[in-house]
Amino acid sequence: MKTLIVIKKQEYEWLLDLFPGVHPLLLPICNKPFIEFFVDFSIFTGSNAIRIVSDGPLRDVERYCENGSRWGVEISYGSMLPADELHSVIDKNRRFCQEERVVIISGFLFIHYDKKSDYASLFASLPSGELFSCGRGSISLTGTPVVETNTTTGASPFSLTALDSVGKYYRLSMDILKNGLTRYVLPGYSSESDCYIGRNVVIPKSAEIKKPVIIGNNVQILSNSVIDKNSVIGSNVIIDRESVISGSIVMDNTYIGEHLEVKDKIAAGNLLIDPESGTTIVMEDPHLLTSMAQSKVAGTLLRRVVHALAATLLIILQFLPWFLLRPILGIQGNWKRDKGQYHTGLPGKAFTMTKTTIGNNGPLCAIAKALSLDRFPLLFRVLSGKLLLIGSQPVLINPATRVIPNSMSGYRPGVFSYAEAEDWPEIGIDTEIVEHYYAVHGNPLKDIAMTQKALFNRTH
Amino acid sequence: MNISEKNINSYTILSLQGILNASSAPQLKTYIAGLPDAQSIVVDLENVEFLDSSGLGALVGIARRKKTSNAVIKLARMNERVKKVFEITQAYTLFDIYDDVSAAAEA
Amino acid sequence: MIFHLDNSTSQPVGIVILKKRIDASNSSELQKAFAHWLQQTNRLVFDCTELDFIDSSGLGAIVSCLRKTLEHHGDLKLAGLGPKVAMVFELTKAKKLFSIFSDSSEAIQSFSVVDPK
Repeated sequence: MKTLIVIKKQEYEWLLDLFPGVHPLLLPICNKPFIEFFVDFSIFTGSNAIRIVSDGPLRDVERYCENGSRWGVEISYGSMLPADELHSVIDKNRRFCQEERVVIISGFLFIHYDKKSDYASLFASLPSGELFSCGRGSISLTGTPVVETNTTTGASPFSLTALDSVGKYYRLSMDILKNGLTRYVLPGYSSESDCYIGRNVVIPKSAEIKKPVIIGNNVQILSNSVIDKNSVIGSNVIIDRESVISGSIVMDNTYIGEHLEVKDKIAAGNLLIDPESGTTIVMEDPHLLTSMAQSKVAGTLLRRVVHALAATLLIILQFLPWFLLRPILGIQGNWKRDKGQYHTGLPGKAFTMTKTTIGNNGPLCAIAKALSLDRFPLLFRVLSGKLLLIGSQPVLINPATRVIPNSMSGYRPGVFSYAEAEDWPEIGIDTEIVEHYYAVHGNPLKDIAMTQKALFNRTH
Repeated sequence: MNISEKNINSYTILSLQGILNASSAPQLKTYIAGLPDAQSIVVDLENVEFLDSSGLGALVGIARRKKTSNAVIKLARMNERVKKVFEITQAYTLFDIYDDVSAAAEA
Repeated sequence: MIFHLDNSTSQPVGIVILKKRIDASNSSELQKAFAHWLQQTNRLVFDCTELDFIDSSGLGAIVSCLRKTLEHHGDLKLAGLGPKVAMVFELTKAKKLFSIFSDSSEAIQSFSVVDPK
């Protein structure tokens, strides 16, 4: 038996806005990443190989699951297009689907299974075709049964829930916590029922913890705090003094300030979500709720220094021609400036930049263009750290143009762009492709070489 | 880089072998320019040892050209190295990608 | 912040309409203005229908307004909390300190039912 998991981006997009930075397949449900429930279920059906197929990025999922050796199964990954129907996905994965029977799980579904049931013999005896569906997704099976059985399945030993709203997510977590702890394999150390506690959890004597509860790793609960019943606390969490958490989910890397009361909510970083109404507030006070994610400054510092040095060199080289040509081009009307609001690398933050375009009249314009003098004023922004020397093409803030999605963490605006250096078409998604490439493969030295290439390419 | 050609159904299957980078990308472009514009193709990538952004640029360029002439380009049998490049660049959003050549040449 | 006196009941009630956000940038302004309003009446209502966001300094200002009103033997009531503002009041337990009404006319009515001390 094998399992093919087909998940479309469209089905989980709502989660990207809610929990940016967490791939929806890695969203913890009772502190267990969502994808692990799929893996567990696949193994229970007797699968020895799992393929995860999506039209969205799977990089983070691949980084987490790797090749599946941790679970003793072989996990591979595939891609599809948003418009693909299930049969074309099966075509695209024909080599995987050959020879053995395949359980196909399609949709962003939670499968309520029970680890004590015997799914392997059940699936081996079921006929092919769609077995279960819940409107938003389905489980189907290919191939012919190995053993014919005359039994009808009767009450199915599992059911499906499509995860399509934060309310469903919350209710699912609460349902597992209250009724399903024995059905699933959950992380943490459990010395008594209804209570799972991770590693390195500090609980002072004055704090109170009531079952059922799940607590992740590296959690500090400070004096006189109460973790009331029905709470899920993630990893790397601090609950400060005299706060009360009840019926709530506190996601990974969250700090909850002192004297607070979190009741029937989801707290994630500096977000507080009311799962029933869907109301979300962003806390601006770091002493109330904060995200504790680590920043990656060290790597970018070297990059900045190298870029600043190279920019200084370019400023020195370009200064004289700029000084001579700029006034003439200005008088001729060949030096056009456009002020605009551009995206920075940080979500929701903008900066103002003036873009220069040089006209097309006469030899002076040609010289100025060949020397990339239009970028000269921007070089100073590299020194102030606003721009990289070479990076992504700065994106104007304008709903009509390409939007920076949350997942695109590689975007860092530059004076020159990788697309220019690579002679790529500078439009839409094509530009993004080459930018993604260098977000991973770039390094400061390569950046210098790419800048040279950009300078050279722009003259041609 | 070696390019070998065969035909299955109405598709021309191009099997690439070797390195697809800035120096070999023009070779692929010229080869495909030699085929009729309306010819749909399947590019078999199993034996591509290395793919960089220029090589990817060539494939994207071909996809754009095929689209304007109502033909199709499909990719088949990506190995792990090639898959990684497609994953980080999200170039998979532009192509039909198959794990089997004959399945690609059917639809 | 708009202030007016409502004379529909036996004693005048001061209605303050809070707008957009109360945060570090305008919370001291609110406290200053509140001292003047308190001289006119000790029965006050903050109408929060148009308030979108409140941070901890804004919350601190409102709580100190309440404290001052209680010192003057009056009451400060809240009306028309939107879902986001209500969440902050719940989170910080400030909700327990105030009488909260769904709109300002209900809050005004409540003053004539039970007289403040």
